[in-house]
Amino acid sequence: MRNPWAQTGNYRTRYEQDASIFATHRELVSLLLFLGFLLVLPQFLSRTQVFILDLILVYSIAVLGLNITTGYAGLINIGQAAFMGVGAYTAALLAPAGLPFYLVLPAAGLTGAFFGYLVGIPSLRVKHLYLAMATLAFQVVFEWTVGHLPLLNQGGAMPLPRVSLLGYEVGFRNHYHFWYYVSFAVLVLLALFFRNLLRTKYGRALVAVRDNDRAADAMGMDPGRTKLFAFALGAFYAGVAGALYAYLSRAVVIEDYTFAVSIKLLAMAIVGGLGTLVGSFLGPAFLELLDVNMEALSNLIKALGFSVAGVDVASALRPLAFGLVIVLFLVFEPRGLYNWWRVVRSYFRTWPFRY
Amino acid sequence: MAQLAVENVTLTFGGVAALSGVSLAVERGELVSIIGPNGAGKTSLLNVISGFYHPKQGRILFEGEEITHLSPHAITQRGIARAFQNIELFSGLTVLENLMLARHTHLRYGLLQAGLFYGRALAEEVRNRRLVEEVIDFMELEPYRKALVGNLPYGVRKRVEVARALALSPKLLLLDEPMAGMTLEEKEDMVRFILEIRARGTTVILIEHDLGVVMDISDRVYVLDFGQVIAEGRPEEVAKNPRVQEAYMGVEA
Repeated sequence: MRNPWAQTGNYRTRYEQDASIFATHRELVSLLLFLGFLLVLPQFLSRTQVFILDLILVYSIAVLGLNITTGYAGLINIGQAAFMGVGAYTAALLAPAGLPFYLVLPAAGLTGAFFGYLVGIPSLRVKHLYLAMATLAFQVVFEWTVGHLPLLNQGGAMPLPRVSLLGYEVGFRNHYHFWYYVSFAVLVLLALFFRNLLRTKYGRALVAVRDNDRAADAMGMDPGRTKLFAFALGAFYAGVAGALYAYLSRAVVIEDYTFAVSIKLLAMAIVGGLGTLVGSFLGPAFLELLDVNMEALSNLIKALGFSVAGVDVASALRPLAFGLVIVLFLVFEPRGLYNWWRVVRSYFRTWPFRY
Repeated sequence: MAQLAVENVTLTFGGVAALSGVSLAVERGELVSIIGPNGAGKTSLLNVISGFYHPKQGRILFEGEEITHLSPHAITQRGIARAFQNIELFSGLTVLENLMLARHTHLRYGLLQAGLFYGRALAEEVRNRRLVEEVIDFMELEPYRKALVGNLPYGVRKRVEVARALALSPKLLLLDEPMAGMTLEEKEDMVRFILEIRARGTTVILIEHDLGVVMDISDRVYVLDFGQVIAEGRPEEVAKNPRVQEAYMGVEA
């Protein structure tokens, strides 16, 4: 019997084994170690640092959803923030009514999925840019409707109550740490769920309608239903992310779910690598950390009192870096950070051997 | 009763008649070829049978059931599979995944079972994987199992296209020029595959330009020209038909 720990190749002899996610023991163990590291990490960080991690986790969930709709199923969606908003407002309405957060989150996801299904209906007829327009329309309608509904405070702040879990009260001091662990658990669950879908007919169907929906039709599947499914599932993830974002920021305001946020999510998906699972985490992490560092840098510049002809260089730095990074990625690495990850991983798969 | 009956089908695009009054009948287990010059309506006929186009007049019966206005996936679910002329594979997926897609409607598990990969999900995947592996074995695609389809050479992709249609376990297989652009060796392989498919009891409708192949392997031949059936019969009868000779070689001066 060969030692599974020294495995550098493919020992699979049965189809059951071929359906597994991890090629080697080492891959599984390194992932578990990394997850363990993420579990203890907040203990060594300040509250503001944990808040950054919270944002990365929540955006990862939304970007994962966007990757399902746009990356895997190829349906351009530039209204993902609106789906987040649907989830957030669901939370803003349900949470004050006394519903615990672990029920609010799935409810927000389902509301998101319902709207995703509705917005997906044009995808039965139109494709590409025209579909992008339909999702943009949803974004606009969402912002307008919220801005005019007294029920939703016309886009003004709607506070969320403090939560407690099994007698554990979440207050000011442990707020970010608490939502870190909740978001972490939700992200791991949702990512695992989608990774599993990818090795079943549901995941294959998404890629099939992206690559060739005519041939998908000839395979006996209904491409229209698959597209609606892609929209609903992607919006489910966005809805959950929106509710988490609402809890995290203690209140829902329309500014957190605008068109600019949709573009930011799309940028995260592209920088991470469109149509890849790992890219859904790399993209948000990279852009959020970049943003934080640029903020620190611009504060430094401000402190130095440096300015050119009265222009505030510091505050221009963040959008400038954001735009520059996207352009650089589109030109030099359109496959995103995922491609770097792939290279590193294939190196370690056979390590210490070259091949 | 014929397994597939196309009755008096007319298909028009604007004012142009792609098919006018085409009828054909295919018996279970037959290998029927459709030949004709370019633009005669051969591919249009396959598109009508497989539901991509819906005819203006006439009807199509498959095993006694009318399928004229059904959508392609509904027709596929009834046992008609199709290999496309211009390869229409899922280029972002591996050969194995392409073939597993053909098993889509045979995989019986729900979304929750799939997402948790629990219950029937694994067992169903493995059961259908076995069937797909038989097709891979049959079409001699073993070396390419895990290769992305987009990276494969043309001849192999053509074979994957036929394999994917076979993985649907069809009762009737529609092949649209499976040998176009192939080398002689690849053609011989493909002919071997087609004969073997027929020998296993699957009805085959073949569109092919290579008349040598058509005359050698077909049970019956239909000749289309300008959207009409101009001749029908055993290969040697069709070859002698003056109208066919006229369509292929022009009118003698």
